[in-house]
Amino acid sequence: MTNYILKRLGQGLLTVFLTVSTVFILIRMAPGDPAVSYAGPLASNEQLAAVREQFGLDKPVLEQYWIFLQQLFTGNLGQSYSFQAPAMQVVAERMPYTLTLATAAILLTAVVAIPLGVWMSRRPDTGKELGVNVLTIAGQSMPDFWTGIMLLTGFAVLIPIFPASGFATWGGLVLPTITIAILQIALISRMVRREMTTNLAAPFLTVARSRGVRSSALTWRYAMGNSAIPVFTALGTRFAAMLNGVVVVEVVFAWPGVGSLIVRALETRDYPLIQATVLLTALLAVGVQLLIDLAYPLLDPRVRLGKAATA
Amino acid sequence: MSLDTATPAPGGAGETVRQPSPSAVTKADIARAGATRRRNAAKWKLIVGTICTLLVIIPIILAQVLPLPDANFQDLGARRLPPLTDGHLFGTDQLGRDLLSRVLHGGQVSLTIGLLAVLVSGAIGIILGAAAGYYGGWVDTIVSRVLEAQMSLPLLMMLLLVVALFGPSIPVITFVIAIAQWPEVARLTRSMVLVEREKPYVSAARILGLHKIQILIQHIIPNVIKQATLVVLLLLAQAVLLESALSFLGAGPQRPFATWGRIISDGQDYITTSWWMVTLPGLVIVLMVVGVNLLGDGLRDRPRRKKKGA
Repeated sequence: MTNYILKRLGQGLLTVFLTVSTVFILIRMAPGDPAVSYAGPLASNEQLAAVREQFGLDKPVLEQYWIFLQQLFTGNLGQSYSFQAPAMQVVAERMPYTLTLATAAILLTAVVAIPLGVWMSRRPDTGKELGVNVLTIAGQSMPDFWTGIMLLTGFAVLIPIFPASGFATWGGLVLPTITIAILQIALISRMVRREMTTNLAAPFLTVARSRGVRSSALTWRYAMGNSAIPVFTALGTRFAAMLNGVVVVEVVFAWPGVGSLIVRALETRDYPLIQATVLLTALLAVGVQLLIDLAYPLLDPRVRLGKAATA
Repeated sequence: MSLDTATPAPGGAGETVRQPSPSAVTKADIARAGATRRRNAAKWKLIVGTICTLLVIIPIILAQVLPLPDANFQDLGARRLPPLTDGHLFGTDQLGRDLLSRVLHGGQVSLTIGLLAVLVSGAIGIILGAAAGYYGGWVDTIVSRVLEAQMSLPLLMMLLLVVALFGPSIPVITFVIAIAQWPEVARLTRSMVLVEREKPYVSAARILGLHKIQILIQHIIPNVIKQATLVVLLLLAQAVLLESALSFLGAGPQRPFATWGRIISDGQDYITTSWWMVTLPGLVIVLMVVGVNLLGDGLRDRPRRKKKGA
């Protein structure tokens, strides 16, 4: 067990390291000069050189990478060019907002999508099921920025129930959450339906039914019990992906999270800020993935972690 | 009632003529059966999906031929006209440009990017997935590790990064979307090839002395290509959505290309006074993507037709 956790932690950290290194290389490979965007297009060559020296951009790339590695291990990625503050701190201040939004969205998704998927799997190929099925297809076909703008116009402008942007009150959480959840509900409920349909047709279920197990227990305890791991994994993976910033939705609702931050950091070529965002979000995502794996034995007593990893 | 029809009574004079039927299952039963309903649902999805897709694609293809004002023709005297006025079916935007024309011309760019991206990702995914599944060993290890690594990367963030750094040109965007999508095709192809390569026909081919690559290309890939292309069709829907999201964030093809995401993001500022500038382009995207998704679903659920003689 401890070995397994250590091994997974090692793999996770390696992934994070490779990710930030890839980003480091990509940034340096790309055309464009952060000094220009910092000092402005009218800056003289001397000013640009001064800016480059200040940020250590005049050094050879390998030396920059070495400095970056040192910074990585001390957890200090340098000053953000545009915020004039430690980059890690800027990202850390925004992280709670993204976490709140992602948590709310994934909870709403789980609460709606699981019962919906089970409902569909219990009446396969009926008219009602086809109707809901088509609705879920529509749900996964709507661009989230468009859904966001539509909800915003409908429920913040025309009928002003919720605030239009930001996170001043809890009401501000409602519309972004719904926007994200629409797509997630569509995806997860279809997945639940698929899993449940397979399990409901399995021989062990027929046996249980012939022994007189009640229908609700058949569905929830027997079939759902066996669908728990894939469903939980899907929810967890989606959650981990959201921590990387629900970029589009954050931009639409002016949500002060990391998603809108990364867009800004990219526009201004704020290297330390880009690196800090990627590092923190990748760490969090890897952590969540590990937690998901550790939760498997709780969901299914047959799972033994060390062995499952090799299978 | 229908049970006693198993033995037909020839010359049963007094009896009313009862149609002999070989089974107790009536036509009504068959119509109500799950398999029939599934087939009908699949057929329905195929038809509706085709209609939705064609409804969007045909006008897009014909955009140059249709009697529409030029997509970039500005008429400042006809700014923000609501739909159905002065021959502007979708209305006009803040610069007096015909919205329908913009949506159709933008659709040409969006669709081209989507199709190219899907072709590239499909090709990469099928080749690498098949190689990984068939050769196993270190080929499989490398492909699988790359797949895993990419799955754990923050996708949209990486796409934005690449586009922001390398410039939002059409080749870059196409490439970026293709890179984002190939893992799905590769994983599916790999798992299918893993099953195929254990089948007797592969051993037979090997004994006949065919080269490994020949077996893979001539015999295994044709057996998995159908299902793989099905996934590619669904990826087309995703590619269109992804491209519009990038455009919305300002990382799409630059002017003069008005892609769908850009049109919506332009219209966002006028949403309270001119609802159509955001709503209608969005509906066009939804219609098209729903169509493609329905089509994919219908094709997947369609009962497989047995080969003749099989």
